[in-house]
Amino acid sequence: MKPDFDPVALAIPFFVLAIVLEIVLARMGRAKANYEVRDTAASLALGLGSNVAGLLIGGLTFAAAVWAYEHRLFTIPMTSVWVWGLLFLAEDLTYYWFHRISHERRFWWAAHVNHHSSQHYNLSTALRQTWTGGVSGTWLLWLPLSFLGFPPAMVAIQKGISLVYQFWIHTEAIGKMPAWFEAVFNTPSHHRVHHARNPRYLDRNYAGVLIVWDRLFGTFEPERAQEPCRYGLVKNIASFNPLRVAFHEWAGIAADLRRARSPREAVGYLFGRPGWSPDGSRETSLDIRARWEAAQPAAPEPPADFAGRVTP
Amino acid sequence: MDKGTLIQFAGSVAAVGVLVALSAWARIAKPVGPLTAERARDLLMLEFARTVDAVWVSTDGRGAIGRSGVLALVIYQVGDGYVTRHMPWTNAVAATLRDGRLRLELGDPGAPCAVLAMEAWPPNELAA
Repeated sequence: MKPDFDPVALAIPFFVLAIVLEIVLARMGRAKANYEVRDTAASLALGLGSNVAGLLIGGLTFAAAVWAYEHRLFTIPMTSVWVWGLLFLAEDLTYYWFHRISHERRFWWAAHVNHHSSQHYNLSTALRQTWTGGVSGTWLLWLPLSFLGFPPAMVAIQKGISLVYQFWIHTEAIGKMPAWFEAVFNTPSHHRVHHARNPRYLDRNYAGVLIVWDRLFGTFEPERAQEPCRYGLVKNIASFNPLRVAFHEWAGIAADLRRARSPREAVGYLFGRPGWSPDGSRETSLDIRARWEAAQPAAPEPPADFAGRVTP
Repeated sequence: MDKGTLIQFAGSVAAVGVLVALSAWARIAKPVGPLTAERARDLLMLEFARTVDAVWVSTDGRGAIGRSGVLALVIYQVGDGYVTRHMPWTNAVAATLRDGRLRLELGDPGAPCAVLAMEAWPPNELAA
């Protein structure tokens, strides 16, 4: 069940035209973009499948939101501009934490990993959406908004607006936006970092619309010209089959649970960081970053002034 | 599923077909040439941040195996990108070569096995 006004549905023709434009401009050598046929097909098939999955579970999630709203703390009018502004901030903050948990805990990573499974970064990658997000229950994170008193339809519309915003940032065709825009909003540059698997860039820039959340919570990393983004997963997937892309991490979890020797290990495999293992034989993103940082040449000593004090 | 949703879904399926056809027409995949030993070594060092003692490139240049101590570092081409995994060197050496294809069981749902074109395996210098 969806509200009558669905920003995502309305934006689909724009998505299609934008991808056409990106491909044609890249073909003409006027824009930076790479498309591999099977990769593109997989991304778009995952987008279609995500729509179907959304239809299957949409009724449940909307009913839950309605239930929360019926027990709301406040009655918030849908017609005030300030309410939309407040909801924009609250929804975007919710998205930040949803996105962060989707990267930092394996159970939710299993639902999100498919979005990062392409070694390409183009507008079709934006549509490489989850099939199992509903099952993983991340939609529960948005229920407090309805419990606070934001009408469920309003929350659904704001979520849609956020999703539509995040489409255009999946491109290499746009370099940097003006500095003030880069400071406040999520941009192609910031989101390229998010999709990169360079150790420096791992688990950074979780923002939906406002990059300020990453700056606030210490997860911001700027894109560096001297370190081009390498896209995809730390362990890239060797398939374009949408079924394998959508479910491979779930299969990995199942295999690990079968070999777990204690409840503690089972919990670790399920809710530890992706890459967690009881004996530390695998690497999490923290391990990879630490190993990479240890291998970096030491920074030059800061210069000392005449008094011998070290200046920053 | 109501009629509007069905029409929207059918339209989306058609659009997917058009976009995939367009991407095939454009031929704008990343250029990927055959691997050389030097390129394979560079890629393995970049991927694993480990020293690579020796490298064996497949005959078609679409993959390679590197040795780093007790580990075998495997790289192979998928589409216009590469997939890498590591495995115990002893397991890699024990892999079977049949009809010029070396099958390496990687034990990962995201990359269950790698198949590399090889003339001989284990490498002649190690088999001797």
